[in-house]
Amino acid sequence: MWNRISLWLTSLVQRARFDRDLSDELEFHLRARAAHWEERGLTPREAMRRARIEFGSIDKAKAQVRDVRFGMWVAHVEQDVRYGLRMLRKHAGFTAMAVLSLGIGIGANTTIFSIVNAVLLRPVPLGHPEELVTLYERNQETAFSSLSYPDIKDVRDGAASAFTGIAASTIAIAQIDEPGGAVSVVGEAITGGSFSVLGIEPQLGRPILAEDETAHATVVMLSHGFWQRRFGGDRSVLGRELRLNGRPYTIVGIAPAEYRGGIPVITPAFYVPMIMLDDLMGVEMLDARGVHNSFARARLARGVTRAQAETVVARVAASLTGKRPDGWVPNSGFTLYPTANVRIHPQLDQILRAAAGLLLVVVGLLLLLACTNLTSFMLARALDRRREVCLRLAVGATRGALIRQLLVESLLLCMGGGAMGLALAVGLLNALLGADLHLPYGIGLDVLGLDPGPNWNVLTFAAGISVLAGALLGLVPALQSTRPDVAATLKTDNATVGAVGPLRWRNALVIAQITVSLVLLVGAGLFLRSWQQMLGVDPGFGRPPSAILSIFLPTSKFTADEARRQTRLLLERFGALPGVEAVGVTNDLPLDTSNTVIRFTVDGHVPPPGQDTFSADLAAIDGAFFDAAGVALLQGRTFSDLDTPNSEPVAIVSKATALRYWPAGDAVGRLMRASGERQTHLRVVGVAGDVDVRTRGESPRDMIYVPFTQRDNDPRRSFVARTSADASQLGLTLLKAGREIDPDLRVMETKTMAQHLAVTRMPAEVIALVMSVFGGLGLGLAALGLYGVVSYTVTTRTREVGIRMALGARAGVVVRLLASQGMRIVLIGGTIGMALSLGVMRLANGLLFGVETFDPFTLVTAPVVLGTTACLAAYLPARRASRVSPLAALRSD
Amino acid sequence: MAPQADLLPGTLDVLVLKAVSLGPLHGYGVLLRIEQMTQGALLVEQGALYPALFRLEQQGLLETEWGVSDNNRRAKYYQLTTTGRRRLKDGVASWNRLATAMAAALGTRTGEA
Repeated sequence: MWNRISLWLTSLVQRARFDRDLSDELEFHLRARAAHWEERGLTPREAMRRARIEFGSIDKAKAQVRDVRFGMWVAHVEQDVRYGLRMLRKHAGFTAMAVLSLGIGIGANTTIFSIVNAVLLRPVPLGHPEELVTLYERNQETAFSSLSYPDIKDVRDGAASAFTGIAASTIAIAQIDEPGGAVSVVGEAITGGSFSVLGIEPQLGRPILAEDETAHATVVMLSHGFWQRRFGGDRSVLGRELRLNGRPYTIVGIAPAEYRGGIPVITPAFYVPMIMLDDLMGVEMLDARGVHNSFARARLARGVTRAQAETVVARVAASLTGKRPDGWVPNSGFTLYPTANVRIHPQLDQILRAAAGLLLVVVGLLLLLACTNLTSFMLARALDRRREVCLRLAVGATRGALIRQLLVESLLLCMGGGAMGLALAVGLLNALLGADLHLPYGIGLDVLGLDPGPNWNVLTFAAGISVLAGALLGLVPALQSTRPDVAATLKTDNATVGAVGPLRWRNALVIAQITVSLVLLVGAGLFLRSWQQMLGVDPGFGRPPSAILSIFLPTSKFTADEARRQTRLLLERFGALPGVEAVGVTNDLPLDTSNTVIRFTVDGHVPPPGQDTFSADLAAIDGAFFDAAGVALLQGRTFSDLDTPNSEPVAIVSKATALRYWPAGDAVGRLMRASGERQTHLRVVGVAGDVDVRTRGESPRDMIYVPFTQRDNDPRRSFVARTSADASQLGLTLLKAGREIDPDLRVMETKTMAQHLAVTRMPAEVIALVMSVFGGLGLGLAALGLYGVVSYTVTTRTREVGIRMALGARAGVVVRLLASQGMRIVLIGGTIGMALSLGVMRLANGLLFGVETFDPFTLVTAPVVLGTTACLAAYLPARRASRVSPLAALRSD
Repeated sequence: MAPQADLLPGTLDVLVLKAVSLGPLHGYGVLLRIEQMTQGALLVEQGALYPALFRLEQQGLLETEWGVSDNNRRAKYYQLTTTGRRRLKDGVASWNRLATAMAAALGTRTGEA
């Protein structure tokens, strides 16, 4: 078969010449023969006529030669394609609608599949991934926490027998000089030899080696993306210098394009030796055990199973718990997870898989809707062509040939739809990739490694569903319309006999459509409600318009005292800016990606089993933070200049914390004992309103605020400036003002509070938007289908209507009569749809926020919307029929 | 003219090969050669000649070349390949076997037909 096709394709090119040659050859034959007859006394005219008669049909001979040359099968398909194209051109309106709806259906599927393919299906480019395990820390909250670098070192040293090597990665943020000023880029500090542990070869130069770590070498590898963006893929960058935070690093290699680093979600711009992390960032992180900012993958030693390795690392964890170093939470452990099964993060992967499944089902349903719609249109057309088909069957065409021809027609439609869908998907993906999501450090969807240009997987998928759709679309009408009850159809004067079967099919299809679109509508309703609920939730901060400037005060550059002074200086400078009404500072913004945790005990309360402390989220702030960020102060006082490193350590607790430990409402004045490096007590001086700390709409978490003046080991500062003016320009103003004080200010990012909060709402917003679009499309397609069915009924019953009207039936009665069939379909489809929807609601419940399982609003709205649309779709064609004059109706057909 | 007989199925290919075996011919020449060889006893449908020629070419039994005819017109000439020659030998042999067998079979009856 393939040989025939390739022969056909190559011959297409030579086809014109071949046909010309064949014509020439036959022409020569005829002339020679005519000459033969002329010699025998015929006039030239007679002679040629004689020659032609003798030869027989020239076209038939040509066709036979072509069959010989190109194969029967191919010749016939080619003929079918020509015929099909002619038919499609003739019905341009139908063709346009079909290609459009198929294009939308296939485009939606291809887009979603591209994303799923990039995120979940594409294999991780690692050598022998089956030998690799990803290391996580296991604690009370999760089995898959990130690690701190000292823990990784302990595992490396304590479990050396289990692994041939460990590759660790930690986020490293560096400012690099750009023409427009310094920008922050995210990179990775990796342990020397990481690339060989993971089995990855650099595409250029060499990787970071173990020797680089011993030598404290200022060497850097670039990621493919950064190399392309900043150096235009120049191969001569090796050996050149790149300044990271002002210090020159020598570029030694370029990572392969398909490798996206060792830290979930973030594609790094560069890789530096782990040992250089503290020097680069200007803080001491390599020895900070409590800071969970590292990720590690290890290669199992030959003959060691994952279970055996797990026992070895469990011993390391147990010995750590025995030694109780600072920052190690007793009874924590390590999880070894097969790296080949990790896409982003085991827990996130699970959610992503569910979301991907849901989306694929939804877009699949959408395509099914488009297909059923077209199938019913094609059925209607097949009915119209029934007499033609019967005639052809009667004169000897085989049923197979007719089916093949109808299938070719629908496949042509689907190829058109597929091409349009692919273009749509590429456009959509590019739009998605280009979208500014306001994520930190300009992270966009490109971190997913999405390739907007269609790759083989995606192309195969698009082609596959196009062909599937085509087969689905063409087969039913083809089988129906070629059923060989030839005589019956030829005898009747219209197509109503024998139409019963196809009509039943059409009705079934439209019922299915109503069902599917109701399910889609219910889904859209649920997610819209979920989004609406989320919008309604007060995160507890950020209500007034404000801007945020996040910076980093390297501990290598600032002593604790200097950092405090610098912070004060910046606060004063920002506070004096025009339009700024209040400015505050925190080390850890609520609802950002990082969380700081404090462990403590409270007299009269016993920590949970297995633990010797309680824990809560912690932020180090100044007194004006509550005012600037719009957090309510419920009791007591905020921090002031009187809270200094030398005064009594104080804290403000959230309402939830206060209620948990002092339910009588007398939290202010009480003591908590912070555990850690310094066993200090904290005097509660105030109670603040609850804020969403980690996720939007969470049930209130315990949150403790301390003055930044009394906590000096965190280099991060996020300034929040509340304004009465436009917040969108304020971030830049803050940045400029900050640079006036310190030209080398290490800026992490600037954004408005609205952008900060929008990011946390984004997943819900995106799902609600996508579901609404799909629900709307589904509704439109179903309405179109219903309209088609009722229209068709109307056309076939025009004569009956005419008689009824001639006998005095009123227009209203006729409309009701004709529309009633459509309404029956809606009723059946709606009932099935509701039943299915209840199941869907149960399934979707886990993905929803603040919506009951059987949300009454959705349960009422979705059917009403569907019902109204359906009534309209059925009413319009019925009304048209009732306006036909009885005489015209009787005369028709 | 002698009464003409219809071609038996499968015989046209052998006839064409035989005709071409005596030297390169264009399509019309093949027709004339067959008529000449059979003294007009066999009726060759002209329309069927060309599909046969193309089939034989496709099978590698004939090769073609564009040339100029006696009366100075562009014409396509067919020529036997080595495979074609072998096939002709086989075809002739098997035809002879068949003819002998047929003659023997039909000859056993007393010939009043």
